[in-house]
Amino acid sequence: MDKEFIARGVRRCSTPKFLLWILPWIGLAAFGLYAAGLCLVKGLNQTNMDNRFAFGLWIFLDLAVIALGAGAFFTGFLLYILKLDALKQVINSAVVIGLVCYSGAMCVLAVDVGQPLRAWFTFWYPNVHSMLTEVTFCISCYLTVLLVEYVPILLRNRKLRQVPSFLVFEFELHKLIYVLAGVGTFLSFFHQGSLGGLYGVLRGRPFAFREGLAVWPSTFFLFILSAAAVGPSFVLLTTWLVEKITRKRLVEARVLELLGRISGLLLAVYVLAKSLDTLVWINRTSPETGFPAAQYYAWKPFGTWILLAEIVLFGLVPALILLTPRLRARRAWLVPAAAMACAGVALNRFVMTIQTLAVPTLSFDRYLSYTPSWQEVGTFLAVAAYGVLVYSFSFRYLQIFPAERELRFEAEQAEELPVAAGRN
Amino acid sequence: MLPWNYGFHWNTGTIVFMGAFYIVLAIVAATVLSALQRSRRALAAGKTEQIRWHSDFHDLPAGDRVCRHVLTGEFQHRECPHAFDCRECEKHAQLIAARPVGQPAEQEVCGMEFPLDRFYHRGHTWARPEANGTVTVGLDELGSRLVGTPDSVELPQPGTRVLVNGTAFRIRKRGADVRLLSPVDGEVVATGGVSRGWYLKVKPLERRFDPRHLLRGAEIHPWVMREMERLQLALPAEGATCATLADGGVPVADIGAGYPEADWDAVCGKMLLEP
Repeated sequence: MDKEFIARGVRRCSTPKFLLWILPWIGLAAFGLYAAGLCLVKGLNQTNMDNRFAFGLWIFLDLAVIALGAGAFFTGFLLYILKLDALKQVINSAVVIGLVCYSGAMCVLAVDVGQPLRAWFTFWYPNVHSMLTEVTFCISCYLTVLLVEYVPILLRNRKLRQVPSFLVFEFELHKLIYVLAGVGTFLSFFHQGSLGGLYGVLRGRPFAFREGLAVWPSTFFLFILSAAAVGPSFVLLTTWLVEKITRKRLVEARVLELLGRISGLLLAVYVLAKSLDTLVWINRTSPETGFPAAQYYAWKPFGTWILLAEIVLFGLVPALILLTPRLRARRAWLVPAAAMACAGVALNRFVMTIQTLAVPTLSFDRYLSYTPSWQEVGTFLAVAAYGVLVYSFSFRYLQIFPAERELRFEAEQAEELPVAAGRN
Repeated sequence: MLPWNYGFHWNTGTIVFMGAFYIVLAIVAATVLSALQRSRRALAAGKTEQIRWHSDFHDLPAGDRVCRHVLTGEFQHRECPHAFDCRECEKHAQLIAARPVGQPAEQEVCGMEFPLDRFYHRGHTWARPEANGTVTVGLDELGSRLVGTPDSVELPQPGTRVLVNGTAFRIRKRGADVRLLSPVDGEVVATGGVSRGWYLKVKPLERRFDPRHLLRGAEIHPWVMREMERLQLALPAEGATCATLADGGVPVADIGAGYPEADWDAVCGKMLLEP
């Protein structure tokens, strides 16, 4: 029914099957929109957050998806600025993932901040001394960049390309894409850093407070490094997942290995930096504020296991796997290592958001636990459903993986060779 | 945000932060506006077809973008840097000057006729200069056997300008809808069809037909052999209702009829250089 919209030479499932696939995600998105609507109409009393526990599931989700979406800027940087041409095979996917992550984060932030009719205040009356302002501006700008980067991918749709003005605009815009890649890198570096900086400057929260360089706490640099490290891993992981779901080869194995190697290298540097930072924090920063670091881990479930899991299990271990060529060459190691790296950065953002607020900092304060309300979970799920829907439509109608067609021809020939040999 | 806003102060933080923000916005806006402006100029200059081909050529697999001199064995590996427009290629001029293209003994390749009185485009169209100064454009034997008897043919109106590597005409067959690339720059003066053995008669621009980008003579045989290999790779071995190429023989008149289960749109797209 929609064949003329699908790229030539690629195979997609039938329209009814596709509708069947998207239906539950639409249902989930509708449920989430209802939950988000309740929060916007009735207020944040619909959530389990309060003045004491002001950051919850949503901020954790924002931080995690923005870190995972870093694959968009970092892949663009590697391809267009450092000229790693092999990454052409995944750049479109990285842009779609980035767009989904950033737009999803913006939507959740809009619900979290509330007062949507006054959303423009943050741009019109910015506090230029606030890292949150920097984050808001950078994310908004980068989302604009991602939307512009998505336009050429959209206009390459088989049907849209038949419109001369779309074809020409796509061609001309693509010629300038390196400018957008450069701007995207600049913006991403700053907002990833500012997100980390948000926590590092919290002098009243010694669990998160860090020293650093000039006005930038160490978390500023750690967030940049960790996002750059897991961005390629997330692109790898999603590509593998799409390959599994669609039962198609979409990129060459060497590209996934390259992503793994880049991720492993940066992850190793991150683990080293994070370990040094943790040592300085345990031995100097935290005691100087009157809190021995062990105290933070006295409240369950946040024991020292979480620190070890973050640095060793989800940091050092995947880094070592991704840096070992023999292991990296095998999917059974490569994919779990990428998944562990992604889980590691999500855990880091969870710790920075939830554990920071759970730990008491005043003598009359108490340890707090927080469980998100169903409205919070619903909104969270809506973002996940939205991501799946955007990616599914993009995969079906746009050329997300340019090498797919040739790999299909190759795969078909490889399947037929034994048949032909048998006939002879 | 702006100096007239309540609470606005000119200080270093404001200037640095807002300066950086506005510079970024200006760069993004300038990039989009520049692309729009370039597009407007390109559309006004009638470069759509040229751009379409450059875009398509970029999307072809590396193996399909090889230089014609790879086909004749003068290079092991070389990607065409001019999107199959050898008129711009200095290397081609040097090689042709050093070793002019010879004439083969016969015009039959793999049981298909490739007459030597014409020039061949890599997208399976041919151009034959006529005594009256026009150029006749047709589909070569392999291309004809790929599309068999087309379901429909979309020809340009007389008076339409066609450009080398731009769309000459479109053919629809068995779910495939492909454009055929023009081997010549000029103005369409007459249209033909399948039954007439040619599709267009074109008056070349400036009354001069320049065939430097087209294959001829001894170049035809190695090119067709390579095309047959590409075709074999594009066709599924399973599901064929006739003898397959690997079994020998010559291609049948309507190859598509022998592969009812093949994705004919993909096969034609690959062979006729429309990714």
